Formats: sequence, C-alpha cells, structure tokens
Amino acid sequence: MIQCKTSKAIGGMGHSLKRKEDVRFIQGAGHYVDDIKLDGMLYMDIVRSPYAYAKIKNIDISEAMKVPGVAAVVTGKDLEKYNLHWMPTLMSDTQMVLPTDTVMYQAQEVAAVIATSRYAARDGREAVKVEYEPMKPIMDPYKSMDPSSPVLRTDKPGKSDNHIWHWEVGDKAKTDEVFKKAEVVVEQHMHIPRIHVASIETCGCVADYDKINNHLTMYMTTQAPHAIRTVIALVAGHVGLTEEKIRVVSPDIGGGFGGKVPVYPGYVIAIAVSFLTGKPVKWIEDRSENLQADSFARDYHITVEMAGTKAGKIQATRFKVLADHGYTDASANPSKFHTGLFSIGTGSYDYDTAFMEADAVYTNKPPGGVAYRCSFRVTEAVQAIERITDLFALKVGKDPAQLRMENFIKKEDFPWKSPTGWTYDSGDYHAGLKKAMEAIGYDSLRKEQAEKRAKGELMGIGISTFTEIVGAGPSKDFDILGIKMFDSAEIRVHPTGKAIARFGTKSQGQGHETTYAQIIAEELGIPAENIHVEEGDTDTAPYGLGTYASRSTPTAGAAAAVAARKLRDKARKIAAYLLEVSEEDLEWEPGKFSVKGAPEKAKTIQEIVFAAYTNHPQGMEAGFEATHYYDPPNLTFPSGAYICVVDIDKETGQIKVRRFVAIDDCGHIINPMIVQGQVHGGLTQGIAPAMYEELIYDEDGNILNGTFMDYLVPTAVESPHWETGHVVTPSPHHPIGAKGVGESPTVGAPPAIANAIMDALSPYGIHHIDIPITPFKVWKALKEKGVI
Amino acid sequence: MNAKINKTIKLDHPVDAVWELISDPYKVVSCVPGASLTSQESENDYKGQVEFKLGPVKSKFDGKVTFLSKDPNLKKMALKGTGLDSKGKGSAEMSMDAEVKAGTTGTEVSLNMDVSITGMLAQFGSRLINDVSSQLLDQFADNLKAKLSGGEVDTSIHTGSIVGSVVKGLFGGKS
Repeated sequence: MIQCKTSKAIGGMGHSLKRKEDVRFIQGAGHYVDDIKLDGMLYMDIVRSPYAYAKIKNIDISEAMKVPGVAAVVTGKDLEKYNLHWMPTLMSDTQMVLPTDTVMYQAQEVAAVIATSRYAARDGREAVKVEYEPMKPIMDPYKSMDPSSPVLRTDKPGKSDNHIWHWEVGDKAKTDEVFKKAEVVVEQHMHIPRIHVASIETCGCVADYDKINNHLTMYMTTQAPHAIRTVIALVAGHVGLTEEKIRVVSPDIGGGFGGKVPVYPGYVIAIAVSFLTGKPVKWIEDRSENLQADSFARDYHITVEMAGTKAGKIQATRFKVLADHGYTDASANPSKFHTGLFSIGTGSYDYDTAFMEADAVYTNKPPGGVAYRCSFRVTEAVQAIERITDLFALKVGKDPAQLRMENFIKKEDFPWKSPTGWTYDSGDYHAGLKKAMEAIGYDSLRKEQAEKRAKGELMGIGISTFTEIVGAGPSKDFDILGIKMFDSAEIRVHPTGKAIARFGTKSQGQGHETTYAQIIAEELGIPAENIHVEEGDTDTAPYGLGTYASRSTPTAGAAAAVAARKLRDKARKIAAYLLEVSEEDLEWEPGKFSVKGAPEKAKTIQEIVFAAYTNHPQGMEAGFEATHYYDPPNLTFPSGAYICVVDIDKETGQIKVRRFVAIDDCGHIINPMIVQGQVHGGLTQGIAPAMYEELIYDEDGNILNGTFMDYLVPTAVESPHWETGHVVTPSPHHPIGAKGVGESPTVGAPPAIANAIMDALSPYGIHHIDIPITPFKVWKALKEKGVI
Repeated sequence: MNAKINKTIKLDHPVDAVWELISDPYKVVSCVPGASLTSQESENDYKGQVEFKLGPVKSKFDGKVTFLSKDPNLKKMALKGTGLDSKGKGSAEMSMDAEVKAGTTGTEVSLNMDVSITGMLAQFGSRLINDVSSQLLDQFADNLKAKLSGGEVDTSIHTGSIVGSVVKGLFGGKS
C-alpha cells in the first residue's frame, strides 16, 4: 500500500527501518538522568505532606541533621529569603516550590533533605518532624464551586472563590434554538477521571551549578528542554542566572506522555540547593512520589447533549464542563486555550451548530491537567462526542455504524470548517469506517450478537470514529508563556556526505533518531543510516517547544523537510556549476542530479556536498548547512475508525476484549513499523482509562491507590491482540503530508471500548457507566437492574 | 478514609462488673492493644498514646481521649479520641459508643466505632483497615475477659502478625 520513492539503501519515507536508538536501548546502554554521576554530587529527598490541607505549625530538623551524611534540610522559609519559594505555572498561575505555612494537597513537597548519599537523604527525611494542624479539604469540584465553600487560594490577593476561569466557544443562541426545536435530544453526564501517565521512568534531575563560572547545567527529565531553560531564566534571573548561563540537557527519557512537560518543585529546589552550595544535586522521585504528586491528567466532569432529527441527522451539540485542576492550574496548554483543544469535540460529523463552555476550579488535589498522550483535552472531548453519538443512535433506533456513515463529513467537503472554528485539513471517514467494518466482519458480528442475546449472553460491539487535532501550532494562536509554538531543525552535512541533524523537540521513546533521518533521507537522498539525529541539549539544538501533543512530526518533521529542501536548492546550484549546465536542465531523483536527456551526466549528493567544501562556485557561501523554524499554517487532523468487540461474563461482570481493529489516518507514513508500535502502545494506554485506571481520593484527600499495587496499569496480559490498518489522506498543508499519530490510539480507544461494553449491556436498559468500566461496576449495574 | 465497625463482645461476667471496667478510663484503655493513658487533663479529658502498625507503616499517635457521656443507669457511654502521628505522617480520629447489657447468657458489650484515618496509614491500609480493626477488637475483647478474670492483659501490639493473620484469613490459611 505504501509507495516508497527512495531505495531501501537510502531508507526514506515508507521504509520500515529498524530503530537506530534501539541498538543502545536493547543492550541496556541508554543514558538516563539517574545514570549521571558527578564528582561531589549531593542527593536530595523530599519530605511530603500526609495531609491534603493543613497549616504547618513547626518543622523540626534537629534530629534529621544528626543523621550521618545529612548536609542540610531546606524549607520554604529558607527559599523565601531568595524569593524562590514559589514559581509560575505554564498557565500563568502560581505554585509553591516549598510551603511557608500551608500545604494544599497530600504528597505536597514540605522540605528537602540534602545528603551525601541517597540512603542518608532518605533516613534524614524520616527524621524530619513536621507539626501540622489539619483542615478539612475540598475534594469535590462541585462543592468547591459552591459560594459557601471556603476559599482555598488565600495566597492570591482578593480571591473570593475557588473559580479559576470560564471559557466558551460556539454560538450559544443558535445552539439553544436548535435544541429547542429538535425532534430528538439526548443528554449524558460523565466523569473522565483523573489518571496518571505512569511512565516507566519517574521524574528527576541533576542540577550542576558552577560557582566560578556562574553557569548552571541542568540534566533533567523534560520533554521541552528549551522552554524549561527560558522558564528557569524567568524564575532565577533575579539571582543572576540569566539564560545564556543556563544549559538544559534532556538525556534519554523512559516515557513522558505529557508528564514531563511541567516544571515540578523538585527541579527548582535542586537548582536552588546547587546554586547555594556550588555542588551538583541529584533528585530522583520514587514510584509512589511520582504517582502521588505529579504528572496527572484528565479530571473533567462533562455534560454533553446532542440534538437531531428522528431520522438520525445530527443537528447540534452542547457541552458543559467542570474542570478539576487541583491546587493550581498547572496544565501545559497553549496559553490562549484554557481547555486545550477540547473544541475538537464536535467530532467527525457534518453539522454547523455547537456551543461549549467550561469552568475550572481549585480543589485540594495535586496540580493536574497534563496533556497525557493527547493534544490538550482531546481525549476528554472525543470520549464525550463518541459516547453521545452512540446514545443518539440508540434513541433514534439506528445501528451506530450506519448513523455515523450518514453523518460523516464527506471527503470532498475538506477543508471543512467546524462549528467551533477549526478548519479540518483532510480526511476520508467513510473509507476508514468501511475498512474497519470489513476487517472485523461487522455484519456477521451483529448476527452473532443477536443469537447470543437470544440466549441471554452479553456481547457488545463498540465504534469510535474520531477526529484528532495535533501539531500545535500556528503562531497566530499558539504560544506557551508567549513563546510561539513553532519547531526547528538544523542540518549540517559534513564534507564526506554524512550529516548531523538537530531538533528543538525531544524523543521519549517515539523513535525520532530514525524517523527524522528518514525525512531528511527522503528529501536529500543521503542514506538515513548516515544521518545522526540529536536532540535535548539546549547548547547545541536549535530552539523549539519540545515533544508532546503529537507535534513533533507536524512541526519539527516539517522543519526537517523544509531545511533539507533548502539544501537541495543549494545542491542544484552546485550541480549545475559542476556539470556546466543551467539549473533548469537538471533533474532530481533521490540521491543525485542528472542532466535532462543525458542521465549519464550526473552528480551524486555526496559529490555535490564535497564540492560545497572543496570547490564551491565563486560568490556562493561555502558549506552545506541549513536551519528552519517551521511555523505551521494550520493544525493537522488525523482520524481513526476503531471497532471493539467485548464479551462479558454475566455472573462476575468480567469483561474480555475479544477483538480490536484500529484503522488510522495519519497522512503519509514515515516508518510503518514505528507507526504500528506507536499505535500498539497508544491502544494499550487507551484500554487503561477505559477499564482499569483511576486515581481515587477519599473525602479527607487521601489517595487510596498511590502505588502500582493498587493503581492498575494494563500489561501485556490485559492487552488484546491489536489489529491495525491505515487509510491515507495526506495533509495538504504539511510539507510531507504527514499528520502525526502518537496520540490517536490513546484518544480513540476508550470510547470504542466503552461503547462496546454499553452495547453489551443495553438490552437491560443500562446505557451509561463512567470509565473505568470495571467488572464491579458492570456487576453492580446488572444487579440493580435485577438481571442477576 | 473512614471505617465503621460494629461489634458485640460476649462476656461471662456480670453486667455491673463489666460496666465498672468499661467505664473506668485507665482500666479500659489498658485493654486496648498498644494504648496507654499518660495524664488526666480535666474531668473527662485524658492524654495518651497509641502505637499502631499496619503493614510497612508504624505509627505512634499522641492523642487525646474525651468521654462525651457516661450513663451508669443505662450503662451507655460515648467517647472520642483524636491523635496526631508523632512524626507528622498522619492523623486518626475515632468515636465510639458502647453499651453494656445482659444477654441471653452472660453480658453483651456492643460497640459502634467510627474510625477516620489520614495520611500514610490511609494510603497503605485502605483495604485492610476493616479487617485489622476487627482483629484489634478481638484482642481487646480477650483483654477484657482476662482483666475480668484477674488474668494477665496482653497489651503488646502483635504488629507484624496483624496483617499476616488478616492475609492468612483471606486466603484460608491458619490464623
């Protein structure tokens, strides 16, 4: 299906090249932040609050200081002297680094113990005595909105409630009008629970401040090293750490999924301690700290409504969201987008009326809202629209596949303007769903289901046909802390025709070292194996906003293609000079320029590059290097058609995913094997919130599943056999027609699974269960309906 | 995290003897595993300590016990205990109603406890709290019997073994 323009030896787009980075990963030779050991390095451990909300009456460090090896205990009062006890969040809210008087969530950082070994630091942590005066926390966002609730953020002058912001988009009056007149209206309230990215590697850093040269090297687990450098300069500039004196290095990362975008207090404390002591300081979270204190996503309470005709034509949708942000708004959204790209939630369907509104509130939970493998709240939006579409189909008595087919935007209608203002670039939704239905054998499954239902057995088929929105983003709308969301590539080709390419993004397992090399190989004809890709060092890489939200291929991948094309233009000039013909007489094929009509007269890219250093035309700049900062004209809109089949044991509620077919449209594919790997991983992270994962807090603010013993991450055992496939509608505005794929499966899978389970239960009048849909919830619902 | 525990303890001793023990703060607290009263603050307020171990987490609570009501005629009492972990790892709150009455044979003490725990204990112990509390109450009942019979009271906390015996109980082993 995939046509390659380059030979296997060049290894451009479409070749399933083995991942270059795996040579070190599979030999245990990856280099992660915890592998960094520097002379005289100190270790930091963090005292955390057992309470969700409490006054700190006293911190007694005397016993801790007696522990052999403990050098210092740092409290908020210590940092306050340097005005480093608080920091801004990426959403321009504020967050404590260490508290001076009040803790706002369980597991919050209270003090840091610095010692000569990790063990001594942990012993010291146990010896710190903190006297608290516990207060009643607010854990329910609806209660938090109640005017009678106490104000949590008393640190904010003039704050008289717990409301953070209100956001809305769409045409309210028109939407209300359509709803009023509609023949059919369906409504559903749902909670998309708080979950955790649960990457294999937790967060950590080594802060290395060189007092003599006034220079900080910060090795840290970050998906966005350049943005972090700027943030550090903004936070610490006043103590002399200005941006040219800061180098951020992001070594190999063991999974990020959005959790390694924000700045966490641990990083800042490590920097502060290194700055004050002049020694390197290492901080590495343990598993429970990671699971309890940071990297949270979701936590949206959504009421979604759909209006349409009795014949099943969708006419309008309406969304009302309550967003629980915890103690502070520490999301990592583009600044103008409070709810991220939630407004993609109108879906893949052709209608022109929608209204969405959202309110965010503070509660006594840890700061939440990272974009977990998702372009900023797209997962929440897709869950809402795909669930309500099924409920609408049920109400009008139509098969959910047929209803979708009848309402899809047609492929000839792209570019298509959505009711919330987006311009979908391309897609062929009918082809995707048709392919998925054929692959899974939809019609025979429905027959089988009818037979099983007659026997009282529970079998369900669920569909999700989602539209994604990725590649943030065009500079006119997209920025983080004012920095526009372009991304960059710099290609240097050496005299012998081999290259190094550097990027503003940062792979956390996505395979950039391979795919970026393939893009450049495609454009320049230099074999991918001869292109070394490097990311993550702000001293060498061009500035970029990092890797999250499936933005690397749409932005930095595009930058690579454009920079390579600049070099190809230069190559053409050099070839014309060497072959003594005019540029127009030359023909390009991957790897060489030849003279039209005389193919034996040719110069390979390697010969041309060599000439750029040894025999370049007079008047032309020597060398063979190019840089490009790519500012995308639009976002890209990948899509997918997923179908899931489940069997449910009536007596126990046990759910078995029998089959799962995922047909993705991510535009042109760079490396099919890597895309398949991304889809497999993403689907597994999609089954996670659908059936297993949810962080549970009790009313006192205790997290009840703060370890991997209780927080259920799906493993190979829980994962079904994934069946994948593609439809390709290239993005018309992207230089190589690619759209990005990393997050599609995570976004698309949960509603397919939820819809399948609800389809199985629907004969008994059970039409909605909030995710994660566990055997217990299914059993309980069946029990309540008297089925068992 | 909250746990509600209702339990009836059956004793062979006369109602009055049981009431006399149950309503005497020092005597009754000496039957609670790991607990001791250290001082009396006012007529109904006492200071004390409770040591407690749940799986990997050992806690020592410094707390306060208040007798909210004590009715010798109805033989009913209510008390409330609050405690903060001495290392700042969490807090616990317990309110308890107790009633002593004659049963079909001997005397029955019915206890209604409402325990709320915050912090590390709540995190690690959420699934075990009911079972562990129930075991502690069994030990408390044994101690009451021992005390009434003039025998030795076992106030040690069978720490490791509490969780161990709960787990064994769950999986059908010998407890």
